[in-house]
Amino acid sequence: MMRYEVLFLTVPTITSDEVTAIETQCAALIKEHKAFQISFERWGKYYLAFQVQKNDYGVYFLVRFEVEDKDKQPLLEALKTFFAVKHNELVMRFVITALGENGALEYHRPESLDSAPSREYNNNGYNRESSEDVSADLE
Amino acid sequence: MAKAKLKISGRLLKKKTRKSGFSAAKRCRFTSGELPESAIDYKNVDLLKSFLTERGKILPSRISGNAAYYQRKLSREIRKSRTMALLPYSQNY
Repeated sequence: MMRYEVLFLTVPTITSDEVTAIETQCAALIKEHKAFQISFERWGKYYLAFQVQKNDYGVYFLVRFEVEDKDKQPLLEALKTFFAVKHNELVMRFVITALGENGALEYHRPESLDSAPSREYNNNGYNRESSEDVSADLE
Repeated sequence: MAKAKLKISGRLLKKKTRKSGFSAAKRCRFTSGELPESAIDYKNVDLLKSFLTERGKILPSRISGNAAYYQRKLSREIRKSRTMALLPYSQNY
């Protein structure tokens, strides 16, 4: 069994319905080719290193799956078509990487804008850690 | 017969003084075991950034001290990361 991963970058305006559609279609495609989906992760919104299709921001997703050697070629071709042709309006970039046989699943990813704590300034110029802390103080 | 004294050009003198100047010992961070090989990944942007110049170019191994095997692997992952817009091709000022 070979492990693969697909990292794809979508437009920042992607809706949750569109994400669900991509997720279900991707899972169906993987299942259809006798492969096993390990995970589907939403990394979140990121400020891109350079503009892609006139977008400064993008949303990253990571899909990981396992496939038998004999079934891998048709599946990889199908995934390329899926991201490059079928969803070419939503998916700006994608990359398919082989993790190897029983490749390690741990990885380090950059911090997204969603998970970064927002800093707010009150009238006195005092710096607060996050909006949650502010609401806790008000109570 | 007295030996003729060799003249040293200014450029050579400059080169000599540069060589004698202090510089930190170069070493490969992967071969020395400081970092595992698995850390070289196109998703690990924080690590890859440390092998780029201010302008976003890949640092040559003669400066970073990386072994040839790890340098090849690093540059491959940096290029992959650039494709995904995680790292810049060039930094504009």
